[in-house]
Amino acid sequence: MSDQPYDPERAVAATPAGGTVDVSLDAAETLQQGPNGPDGPAEERERPRSLWSDAWRDLRRNPVFIVSALVIAFLVLISLWPSAIASGSPLACDLSKARQGSQAGHPFGFDGQGCDVYTRTVYGARTSVAVGVLATLGVAVLGSVLGALAGFFGGVWDAVLSRVTDVFFAIPVVLGGLVLLSVITSSTIWPVIGFIVLLGWPQIFRISRGAVITAKQNDYVQAARALGASNARLVLRHIAPNAVAPVIVVATIALGTYISLEATLSYLGVGLKPPSVSWGIDISAASPYIRNAPHALLWPSGALAVTVLAFIMLGDAVRDALDPKLR
Amino acid sequence: MGRYVVRRLLQMIPVFVGATLLIFLMVHVMGDPIAGLCGERQCDQATAARLKREFGLDQPVWRQYLTYMGNVFTGDFGTAFNGQEVTELMSTAFPVTVRLTLIAIVFEIVVGVTLGVLTGLRRGRPVDTGVLLVTLVVISVPTFVTGLLLQLLLGVKWDWIRPSVSSEAPFGELVLPGLVLASVSLAYVTRLTRTSIAENRRSDYVRTAVAKGLPRHRVVVRHLLRNSLIPVVTFIGADIGFLMGGAIVTERIFNIHGVGYQLYQGILRQNTQTVVGFVTVLVLVFLLANLLVDLLYAVLDPRIRYV
Amino acid sequence: MLLEVRDLHVEFHTRDGVVKAVNGVSYGVEAGETLAVLGESGSGKSVTAQAVMGILDMPPGRITRGKVVFRGRDLLGLREDERRRVRGAEMAMIFQDALSSLNPVLTVGDQLGEMFTVHRGMSRRDARAKAVELMDRVRIPAAWERVRQYPHQFSGGMRQRIMIAMALALEPALIIADEPTTALDVTVQAQVMELLAELRREYRMGLVLITHDLGVVADVADRIAVMYAGRIVESAPVHDIYKAPAHPYTRGLLDSIPRLDHKGRELYAIKGLPPHLTHVPPGCAFHPRCPLARDVCRTQEPPLYEVSPTRGSACHFWTECLDG
Repeated sequence: MSDQPYDPERAVAATPAGGTVDVSLDAAETLQQGPNGPDGPAEERERPRSLWSDAWRDLRRNPVFIVSALVIAFLVLISLWPSAIASGSPLACDLSKARQGSQAGHPFGFDGQGCDVYTRTVYGARTSVAVGVLATLGVAVLGSVLGALAGFFGGVWDAVLSRVTDVFFAIPVVLGGLVLLSVITSSTIWPVIGFIVLLGWPQIFRISRGAVITAKQNDYVQAARALGASNARLVLRHIAPNAVAPVIVVATIALGTYISLEATLSYLGVGLKPPSVSWGIDISAASPYIRNAPHALLWPSGALAVTVLAFIMLGDAVRDALDPKLR
Repeated sequence: MGRYVVRRLLQMIPVFVGATLLIFLMVHVMGDPIAGLCGERQCDQATAARLKREFGLDQPVWRQYLTYMGNVFTGDFGTAFNGQEVTELMSTAFPVTVRLTLIAIVFEIVVGVTLGVLTGLRRGRPVDTGVLLVTLVVISVPTFVTGLLLQLLLGVKWDWIRPSVSSEAPFGELVLPGLVLASVSLAYVTRLTRTSIAENRRSDYVRTAVAKGLPRHRVVVRHLLRNSLIPVVTFIGADIGFLMGGAIVTERIFNIHGVGYQLYQGILRQNTQTVVGFVTVLVLVFLLANLLVDLLYAVLDPRIRYV
Repeated sequence: MLLEVRDLHVEFHTRDGVVKAVNGVSYGVEAGETLAVLGESGSGKSVTAQAVMGILDMPPGRITRGKVVFRGRDLLGLREDERRRVRGAEMAMIFQDALSSLNPVLTVGDQLGEMFTVHRGMSRRDARAKAVELMDRVRIPAAWERVRQYPHQFSGGMRQRIMIAMALALEPALIIADEPTTALDVTVQAQVMELLAELRREYRMGLVLITHDLGVVADVADRIAVMYAGRIVESAPVHDIYKAPAHPYTRGLLDSIPRLDHKGRELYAIKGLPPHLTHVPPGCAFHPRCPLARDVCRTQEPPLYEVSPTRGSACHFWTECLDG
């Protein structure tokens, strides 16, 4: 069934909501069909333009892209140099000021421990961005390499790896996180990253595998093979470029969902642990005082929402630009 | 059709074994199950050894797994360390979560599909752009944040609902939690419906329907919707499994004593039997939901039915 | 005159600018007559047909000028619900790709019967009986059995027969067939074309046959209208054109058909490519590819010169062309 509009074994990404939710609904599937849009109204359109330059031209004019890119640039900057805009230490807390509201020098007020909410929110960005970027890198590398191998060589490797991804998909992400991470006492970000990579790679695996299989059937790849190109050359020169676009789009969106997943796990008490500074931890800590000190909950929640939104909107904009079908 | 079902059932088996084995191993890594048994105190050597024998924990892992699965298939999910049958816990927890999931699914169908159809038919108009933006925001804000904020607004500030759900968890009290649980999927259903409608609107068979001189509502309902909703129905079917597994966050926010709550307690108390039992059932639900989706697909799309 | 298209202009507003797909097309079809509209893809022949049928996507499409007079009424002036009643009942359309043009999730019986339940208010039972009858008409074997099947269960030729049956259902006065045989195997093409021609005679319908295939045209058409870049460049009775084309583009098309009596000669191909409709060349749109082109062709757009009372050519030098 090649014209099946929907693949039940679709790519699934981790979000804290329903355990796992498909982020690539309209992303990867349509992208893999490549840049051949519908016939233009003039019955024929054939101006050959590069997918990437065309996409870039589109993106530069897209306000959604510009805004989300600016937000992300800002987040990256304050992750690298948080002290540039927050002078204090996120761990300097004064219990006597617990739950006090906004005041001079402390625009966001204080949390339940008397820590400055502004400083903690700024430093929280560093953790979130670090977890998001590193986990996405891990997932993208592991997923695309395994996917490319499975798609290119097929046979037993493909069968085994594909069944393994089925198994991983059947495990609800948040549950898996609770079980695996509950025993870990380390307060670094590495266990969380490791966990996300462990459960996240199958998503990229499927996209990369699908793209490679599609690309492999292209005539020019067959031709290159007939001319005696080596496997490595085939993959790098002819196949990989086709798989890159869908992987980038899904990875960008996934980055947002990983940040949100980290916060969710931290909220449940199994993600990052103090003294790590994380929005999830702060939101969790503030939720008992939701009645009398909502500011301690709202600021980190807002920062988290804006961050995740920025990455997902960026991915969305890039997908629209790379996928002329939806124009 | 019959052979198709059998084939899908057979394909489920290795995934089921793999997933439950994985969970079994994870729980095993989770720590010494005996440690949770003696409460806060350290178990003495002799008691620990006796308990280990009693629960078969001195056996190799693969054998423990086989024994466990053997028991599961006779309906015996073991006993939690506090002496309560796991099946008993399930019989109180699952109905609550099933109710919650049902409400979430109803939201997805009613709100998600309606919004998707409306925007899909009005692509590029202000309504479309607006709804699209809202769905992006809903997808982006983590569920626990959405949940806490709604709880703060509706439960605390405006006092419309009870901020936490009573232990009986009747349907009425589960409306807001159900919406929170559904939120992200709802946004996806909206987007999926919208894309599907917009894509099929340009299809040749819709053009044929118009050329046949059919009234607009007939073109939309009988020709456009019937085809466009196939992927949506299957998405919602598959979502049943995700929702039940993801209810843990929602249940924690609203203090609902469902599956997620029991699991959370089980993990905190290192109650391996509870955790493995519940997760096994959830994996099974997930796989059955996927099977259901495949069957639904075949029912809705004759091209698959007659392959 | 059954159908008369007068000075039709259609534009599309796209990201790359305004595409002028149809620029002043006029043609007419008498009752019982077959008009072949010939042209390459992008010449505007399908867009014209869609505008006539009233199934143009608007937006992005827009009819900027012109009239479509059908049985004495200007269709473009009708309200949408009046227009709808004409579609399917008085004029019907056959599309190129029957597989994608039939609804994949409804049985062919439902799709055929729908014509009768909607336009004639028949019961579903009677409509089903009518569907079987129609399938018999287009010679689908075991119609009473196959009426319950889905489009994908039929072969390409059978599916196109179902499309034809659907168009015939309410015995319309005019059928527009948009490349009805292009998607079929060569052996099936002839059968389907023959069936269509035969049924047209039997029902005495007007037929607009849109095609890029000159071979199909010779046998069935009464008149030919040749389109290029959204314009009619030559319009004539079929025999006149085959005898001596009055436009260099038509000549080019004819010369590029392999012919038995020209054995051993190299096959002709028109040089260059058809223009992009966002950038149609000034003057005569065909001049960059034309062997007869002179300075006047680059600046002055040729009107449709009257070659004879039944014939027109949009070439400044049609006399030269006619002489060969």
